[in-house]
Amino acid sequence: MVSFAVDTHLLWDVIWVSFAAGLGISVLFSLVILGGARAADSRRSGHAGAAAGWAALAGGAFLLFAAGVALGVQELATK
Amino acid sequence: MEGDVVLWIVVATALAFDFTNGFHDTANAVATSISTRALSPRLAVGLAAILNFAGAFVSLEVAATIASGIVDAELVTPAIVFAGLVGAIAWNLATWYFGLPSSSSHALIGGVVGSAFVAEGSTAVFGDGIVDKVIVPALVAPLLAFVVGGLSILVVYRIVGRQHPGPVARGFRLGQIVSGSLLALSHGTNDAQKTMGVIFLALVANGTLTADADVPTWVVVSAATAIALGTYVGGWRIIRTMGTRIIKMDPAQGFAAQGVGATVIMAASHVGFPLSTTHTISGAIMGTGAAKRVSAVRWGVAGNIVVAWVLTLPAAAAVGGITYAVVALLGTEVVGPVVVAVALIAGLAVAGGRRLVAGRTLTAEG
Repeated sequence: MVSFAVDTHLLWDVIWVSFAAGLGISVLFSLVILGGARAADSRRSGHAGAAAGWAALAGGAFLLFAAGVALGVQELATK
Repeated sequence: MEGDVVLWIVVATALAFDFTNGFHDTANAVATSISTRALSPRLAVGLAAILNFAGAFVSLEVAATIASGIVDAELVTPAIVFAGLVGAIAWNLATWYFGLPSSSSHALIGGVVGSAFVAEGSTAVFGDGIVDKVIVPALVAPLLAFVVGGLSILVVYRIVGRQHPGPVARGFRLGQIVSGSLLALSHGTNDAQKTMGVIFLALVANGTLTADADVPTWVVVSAATAIALGTYVGGWRIIRTMGTRIIKMDPAQGFAAQGVGATVIMAASHVGFPLSTTHTISGAIMGTGAAKRVSAVRWGVAGNIVVAWVLTLPAAAAVGGITYAVVALLGTEVVGPVVVAVALIAGLAVAGGRRLVAGRTLTAEG
């Protein structure tokens, strides 16, 4: 007897976790690039305060991105 | 003694499957990096090979026993496993020849389902297991990755769209090294373990090991080496399809496709719903292309890929079933597996050698 019952709760978990992780990692790395590029532009135009702010954004986003990567590796190691 | 001969034939065939698995799936981790020039082709496959090798050691939880929940494990014999592996290898080589990415795991499941069906009849195959573990994930993976990939690239363009293209492209190329590395590590962890599971089962069935024994080190090292060597040789036809024939991608799209592919695979694995690496990364590539411009995706190529996905299970099952029938005709104890293995090696030596050289020529052509 073939059962076609799909675990919808599990499926919903897969969907929302995938959206959160996939979009999250893309947004974070984009912010690293945006922050880095704008910090360089601000430094060139002599705006040291703005440069520091953009650099902080890039650094913070990079730390979160790196934490996401570490979480991924941990997931591989512990499954 | 007779059991040992069949055991070593199964071990050698499992390692041959592992090699084709690495060879066939290299594209998942490297195609977009090569396409956007984040890495040179040789460096990309070298890095992927090292990470596939390392990935095999990351987790030694050999829980993913072959076709678990899909065929009746108590009825599985070394001859069934052997025929199933032949079916999977045949499908991997066929799809490589046509440059079509397809799931090696589904090919392995299909091969074993076909050989178990021919050997023991329909009672050996669990239909609900096929639906839950093959068909549903095969529908979910590409659709989910397509949508998440498409949304991701739109957000990425929104964030970095007004910046100078040079630094942005360089940044995403660096990001691709990280996302591609994660994909390669994930592939080594998942797929090398399937081969370890096959060899472990054969050792248990032969009485060489008990079911609660640890996986021998030589099994881990040989499975890791086979998948790494396969990855290093590289299935260039599939790399070309995934890297340039589906969409012409820029570094941001390459990063979004790889990053979404890696995170969706890991997120799904985290909640206990493992997805095919090939289906996920292919869906993400199509999604990042379609979000930019629907006509940017070569839908004819995408359609061929989907047809290959649909055919994977039945085609591998057919070859696995026919192989088992031939083995059974000659004798499942020793003669059948030996004759079929020798015939396959001879066939591959004649035909496969020329094809591999042609594949390497594709590399030189870029």
